[in-house]
Amino acid sequence: MMVSATNVSRWYGQVIGLNDITCEIGPGITALLGMNGAGKTTLIRLITGQLRPTTGDLKVFGEAPFANANVYRRLGYCPEIDNFYEHYTGREFVKFLARLDGLSADQAKKRTEEVLELVGMSDRAGRKIAGYSKGMRQRIKLAQAMLHDPDMILLDEPLNGLDPVGRRELIDILGSLANQGKAILVSSHILFEVEQMTRSLLLLHRGRLLATGDLGVIRSLIDKHPHQIRIETDDPRKAAALLAPLPNVVSMRFDRSGDAIQLEVREPDSFYDALSLAVLEQGLSIRGFSSPDNNLESVFKYLVEA
Amino acid sequence: MEGAIFSQAIREYFRPRRFLPWVFLAVICMVIAMQWKSLQVDADSAESYTKVSSIFVFHILALASAIFTTAIISQEVEQKTIVYLLTRPVPRWKLLLIRYVASVIVVSTVGILCTVLSSVGAYHGWGSNPLLLKDCIALIVGAFAYGALFLVVSLMFNRAMIICLLFAFGWETAVPNMPGQMYLVSIYSYLQGIAEHPSAGANKLLSLLTASNGDNVLSASTSYMAMTGFVAVLLGLASWWFTNFEYLPREDAE
Repeated sequence: MMVSATNVSRWYGQVIGLNDITCEIGPGITALLGMNGAGKTTLIRLITGQLRPTTGDLKVFGEAPFANANVYRRLGYCPEIDNFYEHYTGREFVKFLARLDGLSADQAKKRTEEVLELVGMSDRAGRKIAGYSKGMRQRIKLAQAMLHDPDMILLDEPLNGLDPVGRRELIDILGSLANQGKAILVSSHILFEVEQMTRSLLLLHRGRLLATGDLGVIRSLIDKHPHQIRIETDDPRKAAALLAPLPNVVSMRFDRSGDAIQLEVREPDSFYDALSLAVLEQGLSIRGFSSPDNNLESVFKYLVEA
Repeated sequence: MEGAIFSQAIREYFRPRRFLPWVFLAVICMVIAMQWKSLQVDADSAESYTKVSSIFVFHILALASAIFTTAIISQEVEQKTIVYLLTRPVPRWKLLLIRYVASVIVVSTVGILCTVLSSVGAYHGWGSNPLLLKDCIALIVGAFAYGALFLVVSLMFNRAMIICLLFAFGWETAVPNMPGQMYLVSIYSYLQGIAEHPSAGANKLLSLLTASNGDNVLSASTSYMAMTGFVAVLLGLASWWFTNFEYLPREDAE
């Protein structure tokens, strides 16, 4: 694991920012989710060594990250803040940070062009940052985070300010980096887009870690809220008759449209097995089915409300 | 890496918008030196130069040091760009000291520019000024000493600029004029020990303004040794402090 946190807490005077967090982050994309003030930025700042834990143990690549150059050699960070040396051009800014990453002047120049190309800023990087739009600034921040080809990249709200095309491009870039075995930690509140990136989550609420792991697994563990399943069929009455006796069906109602039923079930995997049998052996005809609350937004809502 | 940090800091400090006001102040020093004889009719070129140097140039040096030194870290914290510097594989002490050296260079340049133009004004040209070389050395030592002190202050306090300006214009004017051994706790006294400016004479007002009203008897060698130790200790403290304490963008830190 690249990041390992054990009972990590962080206090700001009398206010607690993170409360007894224990988690691990490995290769692939992990989404860090939570409402404002949940502790996302605090956790990212702890991992990037800008802050020290008040209590607990935090290791990044096996070392304490605070002011640790060994960690920074393998870590890229795209902060949420939107501040730059405004009188620099995008190219100058990225190249300066490439030199700070330890690249020689020639390497820095070459690598700067590569990452600018990657984030789609090559043609505009010669302009002063003061004149950049929010989306262009975001791309420059992304470029500087990828300069030294780090093993882990932390992105704090990277989708903010990007247009839909830019968001799609970023998601593709992150997917490609994750496929190379890098760890990507993305903090975001745009749940729909996070869901397109990954199903691996860290969910924070009021400084506490509410859930961690795969979205599907987390959803299946939320017993308080049975899974909602909508089945579209030409014969809703037959479907109801076949499915109602199943032990994991909690409730059932007919859809107003008249060609679908909505069920609440527990242990959805068992239910889907039974549904398959009903289709194959009982001749139940279905046109489609969906699970409206088997998504990040519902999981987030259920966990936070709990 | 070190070269990039240094050249970025130098480029930042010597930006025309930032440096031109200091050139303007240096020109004002020259004009005052040229006109000094009309204020003090019995003053010769050497005396005109000495007064302008003591009253204006050394205070401009402290002012420049307060402004440029607090920019080393405080300004990065305030404009929130500190995050880019602190998440790179550069040891914090190295980052701090390289930027400190860059600030010393720009502050020394300001001081030397002011003193050279004051000399030109007092001597009405590039006449031989026996005090000029010692003054330049004292100004460089002053840039190191004020820089080290203000660096520590800027790392420890949020509103460092106010403290630094109070020190530069309050402490450094008042303390050398105090009786007894108080002059020992003023950087200006040591710089005067190095510059070896002649006494202001019987004129009380000028003695106060040139901060030569106290019992300062520091020799140049003592001053050099004291300033070297002072700078070394403060830079060690600043490096330790910056390496071990958290620095976040200003609004997040509060």
